Amino acid sequence: MLFKNVFRTLKKQKVQLILLGLIITLSSFIFTSMNYGIGGILTPTKQYFEEANQEDFSISMMDYLLEDDVLYMQEQCILSTEVYTLSSLRNIDKPCYDKMIAFRLDTILKEYPNINIELREHKDLFYNVDGTSHKVRFLKETSNINTSYFVEGVAPSNGAEIAVSEIYAKLNNLVIGDTIDFNGKNYQISGYVLFPDYSLVILSSDLIFDNRAQTLALVSDDEFEALNATVGVEIAGDLFNMSKSDFESIVLDNYRDNTNLPFITNIVLTENNMRSGAIYGEIEGGQAMSLGISIMIASIAILIVRIMVSKVLHSQRGPIGILKSMGYKNSEITVPYIFFIMIMSFPMLVFGYFLGYIAAEPFKNMYLLIYLLPSTAIEQTVTTFITAVIVPFTFIVVVSYFIIKKILSQKPVELLNPQVSASANWLTKIVGKYLKKLKITSKLQHLLLYRNIVKFFVFLIGMFYAAFLILLSFSMIGVFDRMIVDYYENTNHNYIGYCDYVSSCTPLEGTQEGVIELPSVIMNDEEIYLVGLSPDSVIHPIYDKRGRVITSELEDGIIITKSLSLVKGFGVGDDVIIGVGDQEISFKIVAIAEEYSGEKAYINITTLSQTLTNTDNYYNTVYSETALNEVDFFIVVSTIDIVKQTQSMQQMINIAVGLLIVVSIVIGAVIIYILTVLTIEDNFYNISLFKVMGYNNKEIDKMILGGYLVYGISIFLITMPLAYFTFEYLQVFFAQYYNVLMPFEFKLWHGAMALVIYVVLFYAGAFSAKRHLNNISLQEAMKMYQV
Amino acid sequence: MGIKLENVTKIYTTGEVETYAVKNINLQVDNGQFIVLLGPSGSGKSTLLNVVSGLDNPTSGMIQIDDDLVSAMDSKQLTKFRRDNLGFIFQQYNLLQTLSVKENVEVGREVSTNPFTVEEVLSQVGLTPQTDKYPYQLSGGEQQRVSIARAVVKNPKIMFCDEPTGALDEETAKEVLGVLQKLNQTYQTTVVLITHNPSIGAMADRIIKLNSGEVIEDIINKNKVDAKEISWG
Ligand SMILES: Nc1ncnc2c1ncn2[C@@H]1O[C@H](COP(=O)(O)OP(=O)(O)OP(=O)(O)O)[C@@H](O)[C@H]1O
Ligand SMILES: [Mg+2]
Repeated sequence: MLFKNVFRTLKKQKVQLILLGLIITLSSFIFTSMNYGIGGILTPTKQYFEEANQEDFSISMMDYLLEDDVLYMQEQCILSTEVYTLSSLRNIDKPCYDKMIAFRLDTILKEYPNINIELREHKDLFYNVDGTSHKVRFLKETSNINTSYFVEGVAPSNGAEIAVSEIYAKLNNLVIGDTIDFNGKNYQISGYVLFPDYSLVILSSDLIFDNRAQTLALVSDDEFEALNATVGVEIAGDLFNMSKSDFESIVLDNYRDNTNLPFITNIVLTENNMRSGAIYGEIEGGQAMSLGISIMIASIAILIVRIMVSKVLHSQRGPIGILKSMGYKNSEITVPYIFFIMIMSFPMLVFGYFLGYIAAEPFKNMYLLIYLLPSTAIEQTVTTFITAVIVPFTFIVVVSYFIIKKILSQKPVELLNPQVSASANWLTKIVGKYLKKLKITSKLQHLLLYRNIVKFFVFLIGMFYAAFLILLSFSMIGVFDRMIVDYYENTNHNYIGYCDYVSSCTPLEGTQEGVIELPSVIMNDEEIYLVGLSPDSVIHPIYDKRGRVITSELEDGIIITKSLSLVKGFGVGDDVIIGVGDQEISFKIVAIAEEYSGEKAYINITTLSQTLTNTDNYYNTVYSETALNEVDFFIVVSTIDIVKQTQSMQQMINIAVGLLIVVSIVIGAVIIYILTVLTIEDNFYNISLFKVMGYNNKEIDKMILGGYLVYGISIFLITMPLAYFTFEYLQVFFAQYYNVLMPFEFKLWHGAMALVIYVVLFYAGAFSAKRHLNNISLQEAMKMYQV
Repeated sequence: MGIKLENVTKIYTTGEVETYAVKNINLQVDNGQFIVLLGPSGSGKSTLLNVVSGLDNPTSGMIQIDDDLVSAMDSKQLTKFRRDNLGFIFQQYNLLQTLSVKENVEVGREVSTNPFTVEEVLSQVGLTPQTDKYPYQLSGGEQQRVSIARAVVKNPKIMFCDEPTGALDEETAKEVLGVLQKLNQTYQTTVVLITHNPSIGAMADRIIKLNSGEVIEDIINKNKVDAKEISWG
């Protein structure tokens, strides 16, 4: 019979139950889809990194030949021309280059004998394929560290074969055996390859991972030598006889001060290396986040269960008191509630689990659009099922059990005589004092809220949750556009021409501007991308946060990008030392540019030119609004293409972010709606009583709804600055710990919109709750009230 | 043997103030009797009833019902004891709104080991035609009779009734009292009934008057009348 009672009572709360079901479903859905999606990559990836012996760290070194190098070179080689860089040496005299490299590697090993190192060479080439520019990074097979890994097919056996990434082939409708035409040179695809030092293809300072227009490629050694491009070198390392912590203390903390190793610009552990290690943070972060999100959602669900159950129990406290006086045991009263909570939540969790299982595959593929990693078909595991279904299920049931138990632990007399428990609490007493002078109706507005402290706090916390969630969703709108597209759209340099290293740059024409781009410069021990720009630059204006042009501030010091500021923690007013070539110049950071275009610093071009060449007008790169002649340059890059590619590639990401936004807003909205309905229904008896006493609807609305609305709006207003500071903090946190930029944005309209959503939902909830109340005649209402 | 109270005291402490709701009461009640507890508001009637029936603990004193020492029981034992022996009726009907009349009575029946049938009890309280109605479709007197049926169906040894007619008019009140009287006679159920109304004493075997937590009068009523014949004060 008690089952029937609980069932019929709950049936009256259909809407809330459906929304509750939605939330419970979401919690297991999000966890399952992310867990399986990531898991489908994680397991094979671990094996892949093992088999292909992923580097533990990577060493960048200067292309410039330093004093020691030159001495050694003069000793070892006979050169006809003067050479300043390793890359040009390689073109002129390969055997000498090999000696120089061996010399540097030996120098490193002499200092740190417990590691293994190997040279990692690459050549970048740009091709025009069907009108778009494709970038290809050619890699040479290595012997020990970072060996190639074949997802399918085999390594190229001759100069006419090539192995590319699977996603590149897929996105360009190519399969193994097909021929690729790279500017007239035909290669036959022999297989799909992965390289463990590249889980992201990072070919330039901007973070564009468009795998349709860029790929890593493996060719035979002879073919690699034949490629007409400057070689890029890096040293891959293996912690062969050394622990990671030893490496950190012995190598990482000291190499910069080691005078025997002046040619090393940077040593990065793989996990801190965007190109190879981003996946670690991403995957771990992703898994932690999915768990975090679903725990958060599950706790919201519990919060709602708590409110609903206690509401039901309180409305029946009289009958429950009678049941207890008749000798019903607490467990007998509890069981039906727990039973219904169980049969409601279990199917929902299972449903969410299966939806998540289905969504895992597309989710995984989204990852694989960006990351170059192996994947396997998604298989269900017991652990995931348990975490997605059994754990939250147990959690919900156990928490509900304790909530009910707590309510039932009161003595039957207390349940039967409301004055005992519904008496004034400390809060109503305190507030009552301050409200003494108000009219009784205004006073009631507040006192009705404080009547039940727990419920009041649940209301406030729930509203805070909802407000925060909604604001967070808004702040994510356009996150990725802000990261890349905005930068190029705000500037006018549609074409970038990189001049040849050897010959000097072509003279400037029309509105073209010459700039100096130095991709790897050390600023206070951090590697940055330095750009020498004119303070009067028209083609590349720099904007601050408020959208003002601040290019002219280059007269007073350097301007750094928001990315650099976030990731490396530099701020306005900092004095920094920049090492250019073998000189060190000190500057003050005068401004931060609202740009997420990479870890860049802008510097007055005249100063930089003076430092490098003792002249005023050196430049190595040309920014142009109109197309540049390719023959005049080493490479010409079209930013228009970049924007186009980014936009198409980021469509998927935008859809994902959009989904996340919608989900968060839905959850926020559900919370607001349910809390409103429940709190208003809570005042069921009061509303009827006031009606009986002759108050009209308007007055009652003011008394009952007014209070909640005022507090709800206040919470929203308080949440806004809090959310703002939290987002700022999150940005810094993500940047510094995960090297991930999250340009959250908080705009006034977000706040206004959130408030509108709140007020609309509040009235919707209030309206539906009141309609339900109005359907019951007054005399029935008075009879129904049980205490 | 019945109910036996020795030096039962209940003190409520609110802040600094101590209220002696029940003060040092000694009483003995035989089985099968119809007892009426009379007294002005605040005299301690409800408190005494709650303490005797194990809904609340006395501050001191001994309470024994038949062979069970109620005052020494923990809450688990009290639950079991009430389940097997007691029925309650209050001024508020406390019916489960989602359940029909019949279902509400079944709630009382389920805890019992030797219950009456629902039909029998409903016909005793005169509610057979209302069997499938819901509480909000009943009058106050009918609702109170449902709550009586719910208390009686388990076949309790003792029925505790706190102002069962407090919210009813004279006619309806007499009907309800008649039901209680009939149950007392038919099933030999001990009835302890609280009321403000001295005239109800006329139908009791014994009238106990309270004031300020103390028994001030204890009368055996030799001329018990039928509930219908009470001359309402
Ligand atoms: N929970 C409580 N806390 C403090 N004092 C209480 C409590 N319950 C009752 N009292 C006090 O104990 C005394 C007896 O109360 P009780 O409810 O037993 O009276 P009553 O005779 O049933 O009155 P009425 O006829 O109005 O129902 C009163 O003075 C009352 O104020
Ligand atoms: Mg009383």
